Amino acid sequence: MSQAVLEAPTGHYRVNQVIKSEIVKMVTLRSTAIMVGLTAAFGLLVTGLVTNAALHHNQGWYAGFDPTANSLTGLIVAGLTGGVFGALLITGEYSSGTIRASLSATPGRTVLLAAKIAVATAATVIFCEVLSFASFFLGTGILSGGGAPSAGLGSPGALRAVIMTGLFIALMTIMSFGFGLIVRNAAGAIASFVGVVFVLPLVMHAISESGVRYLPTNILANSIMTTVNQGQGNIQPLSPAVGLLVMAIYAAAAVSAGAVLFVRRDA
Amino acid sequence: MITTHSLTKRFGAATAVDNLTFEVPPGLVTGFLGPNGSGKSTTMRMIMGLDYPDSGSALIGGKPYNELAWPLREVGGLLDAKAFHPARTARNHLRWLALTNDIPLRRVDEVLDQVGLTSVANRRAGKFSLGMSQRLGIAATILGDPGVLLFDEPVNGLDPEGIRWVRHFLRGLAAEGRTVFVSSHLISEMSLTADRLVVIGRGRLIAETSVSDFVHRSGGGAVRLVTPDTVPFTSALTAIGARVSDGDGGSLTVEGTTTQRIGDLAARDGLRVYELTPITASLEDAFMELTKDAVEYRPSVMAGAAASGGKE
Repeated sequence: MSQAVLEAPTGHYRVNQVIKSEIVKMVTLRSTAIMVGLTAAFGLLVTGLVTNAALHHNQGWYAGFDPTANSLTGLIVAGLTGGVFGALLITGEYSSGTIRASLSATPGRTVLLAAKIAVATAATVIFCEVLSFASFFLGTGILSGGGAPSAGLGSPGALRAVIMTGLFIALMTIMSFGFGLIVRNAAGAIASFVGVVFVLPLVMHAISESGVRYLPTNILANSIMTTVNQGQGNIQPLSPAVGLLVMAIYAAAAVSAGAVLFVRRDA
Repeated sequence: MITTHSLTKRFGAATAVDNLTFEVPPGLVTGFLGPNGSGKSTTMRMIMGLDYPDSGSALIGGKPYNELAWPLREVGGLLDAKAFHPARTARNHLRWLALTNDIPLRRVDEVLDQVGLTSVANRRAGKFSLGMSQRLGIAATILGDPGVLLFDEPVNGLDPEGIRWVRHFLRGLAAEGRTVFVSSHLISEMSLTADRLVVIGRGRLIAETSVSDFVHRSGGGAVRLVTPDTVPFTSALTAIGARVSDGDGGSLTVEGTTTQRIGDLAARDGLRVYELTPITASLEDAFMELTKDAVEYRPSVMAGAAASGGKE
């Protein structure tokens, strides 16, 4: 080896180089493949079980039955594993020390973060949309095959629900990434995610019934997945568009807070 | 070339690096010596842009690290032997690193070969021994063929063969004209590897000098004299202004004169000389002497252990 074997290209590193490396980072971890496989398998299993359980009831049971929401139930699994995946995407770098290698290679912290978020968002949106459509077709297939009320993509609100559910789960993943960026360790980030998504609703029910509709799980279940209004009494769920926007704001807030800390703190 | 100017870093009330100014020139191995907790790693992290200084600057070729156009092509840093994901293979670790700086992927196999990891390139790096991890870390530093290299304790945990390999490797990099900055608390290792030394204690600069100067400055120049004519020799030596004290094994330790003058005295006065040896302080002695006030964590009973060459 002698000095200047390598000719440096002109200019300097940019976000596209970092995006390429982040893609390689993501696909060269076996945990990524395991999570994708398990999420798909369990998600579809849940949809299969839930739709199957909705077969062979009497006419009255189907009052207010929403075949679209029923067929998307398995995406809840993706919501949970997405939270774990999003957190690990950044906390794995801290626990292994890879973050120091990453920042040595590309010290521009906003560039590194932008690339990471772009890759994570693209990957989770693609995966969640595919799973959402798969779950919908599986569930509605089981329902119609069993003679229960079913839906197709042409049914009112169905396509909107399927697409938005995939996006919503992706946003939950990004929110968890933001938590990971803030606390920098997997256990803390996953605990925060589970706290916000699964524990906060219990607390909120006790404090304010009308506040419950602003929580991620309730937005997902009552505004996003559904095509039939799930309102109770005079408390109406958020409209699908507002619900998705609220979730986007949560994700953006978590990532922004994390980004500020990431840029300021010692690595 | 690495330069730091008034580099300062505080953690709460503690000052880890205190107004540190030094430079690391190209073409030489510069050793970075200091007791544990003296701020070596923090200094290196600031040079690499990982930690932010409270004041002062650390520059590489005149630029702060985060302004380098292609960092891996300009600087290679090994700050942490395990800075990779344990589940990723060695080859994949180097692949993503190469992509960040548009480094041709053929370099991945070249550097794996250079550090002797070709046969385990597709094994998960988490399964590597400490020595193999160090080699992977070293492979990453040379991936972009950089002109400046930093290594924090690169021989930690290596076997003698590995230590020898690293030593030759570092000297080879410097011989090619690169800037090589290597921290260690293993003083004897530095005496074999380094040309220059930057010595710090409690975050402050203690010495910035060549290895030979460093040894010479601290307590070199004494002479060991073995003679049966102790009494006349002592008075003759005292008469020319030398200081005489009892050395080990019945010898005398003479300071403030040279072997040549002692030989002349012996010839003039007809005194018998059985042994006449210049005592060169070891680098370790010099280090202990200079950092004795700057050791952060010293057990109260350690004075004796330190004097007899305790590693810390």
